[in-house]
Amino acid sequence: MIKLFILLSVLLFSGCVKEVQPWEKEQLSSDMMKPDGGNALYKQFQEHIYFSKEGSKGGVGVAGGGCGCN
Amino acid sequence: MKTLLLSFLFSVSVFAYEFGSNLDGAMLKTLQINDSKTYIISFFASWCHSCEKELPDLDELHQGLDKTRYEIIGVDIDKDIENAKVFQKSLDLSFRVINDNKQNIVSVFKPIGMPSLYIIKDKKVLHVMTGARDDIDEVISNYLGIQDD
Repeated sequence: MIKLFILLSVLLFSGCVKEVQPWEKEQLSSDMMKPDGGNALYKQFQEHIYFSKEGSKGGVGVAGGGCGCN
Repeated sequence: MKTLLLSFLFSVSVFAYEFGSNLDGAMLKTLQINDSKTYIISFFASWCHSCEKELPDLDELHQGLDKTRYEIIGVDIDKDIENAKVFQKSLDLSFRVINDNKQNIVSVFKPIGMPSLYIIKDKKVLHVMTGARDDIDEVISNYLGIQDD
């Protein structure tokens, strides 16, 4: 009975930990998934606040399109 | 414990094409490839910005290749086929492209990132490259032993 319970649990819950595959990252790579939602003005404004407060500029953001490469 | 391990193994599919793998008959038929040439299979998508940068270089390489010995085949994995067609048209690709909108091909190859490139000869995967490179044409030429003119 315990074995059956473990077997069913693993089979049922294995779907909960499904990894997003590189070819399934279309939505994740869209501009809307960026912190600024793809709004360049909002991003500029946020960066302005950041470097005004921190006394530094640059070093923000990452390259790439979220496709799992490099 | 044995039950746990067995159920885990059966619940997770681990098979993927990698260096040294032999392509099965169904995949060879889908890609329309045979033993006569060395094939370069490139997986890309319209939403992959790195792919967009790399594909023109790949296209340039294709134009200079000896078509009797080598062939580049693109596999566009976009789910929206209209997006895929617009993307391909914008790049004006000269090599053959297969629209894998149901992602049947890519889910068998299981690349670890996009873009991904597989070099295949005699039904066997000789080399796998993941991620875009500025000098992809040179890298492939060097790998295949092709001298630039």
